[in-house]
Amino acid sequence: MNNKTLIDKLLLLVWGIFIYSGCTDLEVEERDSIVLDGSGGFIAGNPTELLSAAYNDLGALANQTNVYALYTHTSDEMIPPTRGVDWGDNGVWRTLHAHTWDFTHAYVLGAWNELNERAFKANQILASNPSTQQAAEAKFLRAFYTFQVMDLFGQVPFREVDEGVEVDPRVFTRQQAFEFVLKDLTEALPDLPDLGPAAQNPRASKAAANTLLARLYLNKAVYTAENAGEPGGFVFEQEDMTRVVEFADAVAASGFSLEDNYFTNFTTEASSEIIFTSPAGSGENRWQMTLHYSQNPSGWNGFTTLAEFYDKFEANDQRIGQGPGTTDYVFDSNDFPDDTEDDDDDGNTEEGKPFNGIGRGFLIGQQYNDDGTEAVDSRTTRLLQFTRDVPLSGAATEKGIRAIKYHPRTSGQYILMRYADVLLMKAEAVMRGGTSGETALDVVNQLRAVRGASALNSIDEATLLDERGRELYWEGIRRTDQIRFGTYTNTWSEKTAQEPFRTLFPIPQQAIDSNPNLVQNPGY
Amino acid sequence: MNQVYLFTRKLLVMLIGIGVSFQVASQNITVTGKITSADDGSGVPGANILEKGTTNGAITDVDGNFSINVPGDATLVVSFIGFIAREVPVNGRSYIDVVLQTDIQELAEVVVIGYGQVEAKDATGAINSIKEKDFNRGVISSPEQLIQGRTAGVQITNSSGEPGGGVNIRIRGTSSVRSGNNPLFVVDGVPLSGDDTSASGSNASFGNSSARNPLNFINPNDIASIDILKDASATAIYGSRGANGVVIITTKSGKAGQGKLDYAYNLGVATISEKYDLLDANEFLDAYAGFNGQQAADDINGGAATDWQDEIFRTGITHSHNVSYGGGDEKGDFRFSLSYFDQEGIVERSGLQRVSGRFNGTRKFVNDRLKISTQFTVADTDDENVPITDNSGFRGDLLGAALKMNPTLPVRNPDGTFVQPSLTETNPIAMLEFSKSFTSTLRALGNVSAEFEIIKGLSFKTVVGFDRSFSSRKDAYSRDLKAEGIEDQGRLFVGDIEINNQLWENYFTYNTTLGNDIELDALAGYSYQSFEFEASNFEFTNFRTSDLNLMINNFASAAVEDSNGELQQTVVGTNSESREDELQSFFGRVNLSVQDKYLFTATLRADGSTRFGSGNRYGYFPSFAFKWRLGEENFLPAAFSDLSLRLGYGITGNQEIPHNLFQERQRYADWDINENGDIEGGGLETVAFPNPDLKWESTSQINIGVDFAFLDSRLSGSLDLYRKNTNDLLIQLNSAQPAVQQFFWTNLDADVINRGIELSLNGVIKDQGKLRWDVLANIAYNDNEVQNFDKLINTGDIDGQGLTGAFSQRIAEGQPLFAYFLRDFAGYDESGISIYSQGDIQNFTGDSPLPTVNAGLTNNFSYGNFDLSVFFSGQFGHSVYSNTANAFFTAGSLANGRNVTRDVVGNGESPLNTPDVSTRFLEKGDFIRLQNVSLGYNVPLQSEFISSLRFFIAGQNLFVITDYSGQDPEVNVNKAIDDVPSFGIDYTTYPRARTFTFGANMSF
Repeated sequence: MNNKTLIDKLLLLVWGIFIYSGCTDLEVEERDSIVLDGSGGFIAGNPTELLSAAYNDLGALANQTNVYALYTHTSDEMIPPTRGVDWGDNGVWRTLHAHTWDFTHAYVLGAWNELNERAFKANQILASNPSTQQAAEAKFLRAFYTFQVMDLFGQVPFREVDEGVEVDPRVFTRQQAFEFVLKDLTEALPDLPDLGPAAQNPRASKAAANTLLARLYLNKAVYTAENAGEPGGFVFEQEDMTRVVEFADAVAASGFSLEDNYFTNFTTEASSEIIFTSPAGSGENRWQMTLHYSQNPSGWNGFTTLAEFYDKFEANDQRIGQGPGTTDYVFDSNDFPDDTEDDDDDGNTEEGKPFNGIGRGFLIGQQYNDDGTEAVDSRTTRLLQFTRDVPLSGAATEKGIRAIKYHPRTSGQYILMRYADVLLMKAEAVMRGGTSGETALDVVNQLRAVRGASALNSIDEATLLDERGRELYWEGIRRTDQIRFGTYTNTWSEKTAQEPFRTLFPIPQQAIDSNPNLVQNPGY
Repeated sequence: MNQVYLFTRKLLVMLIGIGVSFQVASQNITVTGKITSADDGSGVPGANILEKGTTNGAITDVDGNFSINVPGDATLVVSFIGFIAREVPVNGRSYIDVVLQTDIQELAEVVVIGYGQVEAKDATGAINSIKEKDFNRGVISSPEQLIQGRTAGVQITNSSGEPGGGVNIRIRGTSSVRSGNNPLFVVDGVPLSGDDTSASGSNASFGNSSARNPLNFINPNDIASIDILKDASATAIYGSRGANGVVIITTKSGKAGQGKLDYAYNLGVATISEKYDLLDANEFLDAYAGFNGQQAADDINGGAATDWQDEIFRTGITHSHNVSYGGGDEKGDFRFSLSYFDQEGIVERSGLQRVSGRFNGTRKFVNDRLKISTQFTVADTDDENVPITDNSGFRGDLLGAALKMNPTLPVRNPDGTFVQPSLTETNPIAMLEFSKSFTSTLRALGNVSAEFEIIKGLSFKTVVGFDRSFSSRKDAYSRDLKAEGIEDQGRLFVGDIEINNQLWENYFTYNTTLGNDIELDALAGYSYQSFEFEASNFEFTNFRTSDLNLMINNFASAAVEDSNGELQQTVVGTNSESREDELQSFFGRVNLSVQDKYLFTATLRADGSTRFGSGNRYGYFPSFAFKWRLGEENFLPAAFSDLSLRLGYGITGNQEIPHNLFQERQRYADWDINENGDIEGGGLETVAFPNPDLKWESTSQINIGVDFAFLDSRLSGSLDLYRKNTNDLLIQLNSAQPAVQQFFWTNLDADVINRGIELSLNGVIKDQGKLRWDVLANIAYNDNEVQNFDKLINTGDIDGQGLTGAFSQRIAEGQPLFAYFLRDFAGYDESGISIYSQGDIQNFTGDSPLPTVNAGLTNNFSYGNFDLSVFFSGQFGHSVYSNTANAFFTAGSLANGRNVTRDVVGNGESPLNTPDVSTRFLEKGDFIRLQNVSLGYNVPLQSEFISSLRFFIAGQNLFVITDYSGQDPEVNVNKAIDDVPSFGIDYTTYPRARTFTFGANMSF
């Protein structure tokens, strides 16, 4: 064979292949994801699915970190002591209590991201051809989250659904955010379903919107103040207070009323107070974060209340607690029935049902096991007795009074809004000049009577704030209350800082880095 | 899987075809004789004897004898690779002996550069070439370990001492703020993707473990040389993947001559080099009583005295067998090899087994104008994993558990069952006994190329390469193990990864001489590479069996009765993924040599990648280099044997970011079974906040170098200065809220600067008679700094009890990457609580985890048939953060009934103190390590069967001089936060072994 011809042919072939398939357009097929790109801009999703996912997202508020941490640890109702190697967590807790957080605080960022991301998802629902009611629900959710961003940070970024990474979101001032929330709620209200009390109320309703509106107007003086940082001196307009009363009365008109047994509110049982809940949030974190590891369930031995907060309660107030390990508890063997029906599904029947030893309300003094024996700290072998005193750092394992609202045996959903709050808002609004057929004292005493507390003779700001504390402790509203009442910058146990600028959290450093339209809040 | 085997078989059959087509020609008029080497008088097998002016030829046999039929007045041309060819007139003789002289020129050292090789003297870039003779010896599981410490400016850090564990290579510092700092590996011309080839480990509540080193499939014994391209002028030919340097691995080919059979056997014995100095049982009880009282101490006293470290560590034995057969002649060569490697880790039940085979062959056709070559390897690697993780919480992983376990507890109860005190205090031996974890990876890498000389000097080469891998990982935990999320449930994780990468390259090379003085080498080509990655993961729980084999091999045993009494399977398909990326490149290079004194190199590569949106697909990466060989100038003093100056500049890139971040895509999120057995996840989520403007990260580098040799080349070396500037940093940042996703990727207009100086010296101290003493030294200084960076990014996650959210490193303006950001610890106050001199806030401490100085020193001695090599390496100027001490060695931990190191007792710390992240746990990481000592003996032989026999004994990691109190300061556990990598953090690291190896090599 002639080598040359062969080679020429070979070469031609190689060149042919080379030229034929030489270049690719570098477009690869996506096989494991849905590409939304193509037409440019936002692509609508299924509004039903998106709305369902948005409700599911509410569960994150049951976590003890981020939003909840900012609302509770910074107030006078809760303290997060470090206990040896436990709960240091890079200072994330103690700086909240001591009011020494800065703009790199992890939960400041966490709350910012969590709330804004959820507000944006509500935007996406609105842009996905929702039904009228779905649109109203989405607006309620957007208002719910935007409200909290406004309340915590004083500035609210906003992004249209079709704006990409290249767009710096515009930023609402607190005043603008207030108007935005008001508009959403006002528009949503007529199209929301009118739901009354139920074992679960996991969807937005007229009552939920009215509750949020009441809260919005009650705090309007704070949100529209010239200087948000100055404690006290807020000017509550009589007209606004009357609106609070109207919204509260509208909630009552939907059928809500006070529940006889206070702790029923935090179970899966029907309660006449439950306005808005998240079934995705179980309340488990609420007992984990406070119970001692030697209790059953074995908790994380974390947060406690402060003695001065605990001292606001009368002994006969049912809210101070019931059952084993609570105030002045006298041992009663009836509190420790046996597990004859194998409630814990462990295949055995044993002495004591699971979680017998855990009371409801404040846990103080000697604690108990499921079978009624006295609980012992497994590490120190000493009796487990919770003390009144608790330092912020270096606390021994038994220090501090614990609080249980969600009991491990009965919890199953997380309460976001309930009627007692609405009623107290009404009382406060009346006290601050709102028009109502009832006096503030009447309304408060109405609540206290149901809770088994003695009637008050008079009411003022201090007593009303205390009453809100007694009713709503550890429910994630204390910070807002203290700011409105001007006590947030007072001192209390292990909190000496008195810096007015701390009534707003800093804009997280990553947020400032990512959006030049944001300006850091004063003081940080 | 079948497909691969079939494909592999077909390919092998084809390749063997190439290898065995050796022939011998013959004629009728006979001249016989022997060709010998002038060096040692031995016969030269495979030498070529050609009748001048004809195609009539013959080849010598095994002993160098030949026989050829030629006319009596013919002239024989005798040639062989590595020898100077000779012409011998026959002059009617029938017997002719020919002695061949070694061709020094021919054996001149070559360095491999992208798409070719050059003689070292002609290399214009900063390139280190390490040949087999300079490799580290002993138990070596992956190629990087062969050159650890041997080259200036190349920092190779084993993440841990785990067999086959991950390896970090940093060439001239760390230049990126995200993952993807490893260099590009090119094996026999096939660039590898940076993807993991095996799944990382899920270990239930014990945390996650990193994937094994993807390069484990390469048998180190098959490697002939490793060339490291360091500066941009050398790496720019690899364009977008060159920014972190390029490591070119060249495997062995058959040597011309008779077929040679080599066999090597190694036996390694490894033991732990340093244990933690923990309290013994009595000391522990005393210390515990000191905090909690005698009553409490009596309560926790289990009555035994157990050294839990001794319980989990063992002497690890390694066997390795290597057989190879190779040969060749002027027309080509071939080499087969087969290896078996079985390494036991020093932690019980951990290990690595690998069986690998390789065929390399070359054959020339068509008057030697067409050259067909192939390199092909397939390896089956089995990793036995143990639950040692990167991020265990306060319960600890296997090592954490062994460190903190109450030493008064026995391993087993009198009835033989394990002592399992609680969900948080897991018995480490039970952890091993009640778990089974392994990864099987089959990987094949190969290429076939054809190179054709179109006209003299002009060649065309086409290369088809592939890299295919199948890996499956299983992690099973039996329900009998008392641990959170495992007890009474059992857990099984299955993770499969498949990769399929293909390469097609075509390029022309042209070599010509212009006039008398100018030599031109040119290269122009096109390359296409595709990278397919597929993974799937499953998770099972609620097993009805505690038999680990049954759990893995009959996973239908995972089921639980629902409230209706019906059996429901308890499995989640965690998720699956499949993606493809492509890289299309055009490249060219011109080398110009003027009078052999002035050398110029210019390269350009254009890379198009599917990682970027259509507007920014292509990146252009040019480089220039100039070399002046002063050694060729007359004015150079005689003391110099050689002197060259090099100057190079180039721009290279980096594209190591996740797949398709430029389009908005949605995926259903992973399912997960949490510790309580609840199933979570599955929601439709946006993959990333898309950024269509993403583009290449680019690194510009300038390099100035001097190569020198004095005193008849007895002292030689090179000195390089460089400055690398990486900008348009690819980085994941927090999205501006509100956003669809918390993070997005962007190019940050900031700079990471690496500046450094590198010195390598080779000296012949003594060369007298039988004695020779060589010294090879390298030292490199690198300074790293982040500039024009207006963000703050935290990394260096710290895990452990009360350390949620804790971090130790921050990337910020004016600091080196991963600079330590800690509280300044100043002892304890009178109540035993930490004092922080700067307050309870974190600050930059001025410490960096990045070593500023890396050094290596090798002394090679040979005397007669003996040779001895002693190699020290060291790193200096950096600090190590001990997350291990932070998490476990504190008074509070002791007060909780966990064991601690001796130094915790009486150090003044209160058991109520909170051990926050602080300088208390930061230590200097400087060390000098006697890394490798090997003593060899070549047995003088006069045997017909064995042509050479060598015995050696080698020691690895014989001692470390350091102030670091942990196990070993050379450590790097993955402590990334939000995918931003960390560096230099120690956390329950698989400890490093001290290894002795006995080996024998023989050739037949």
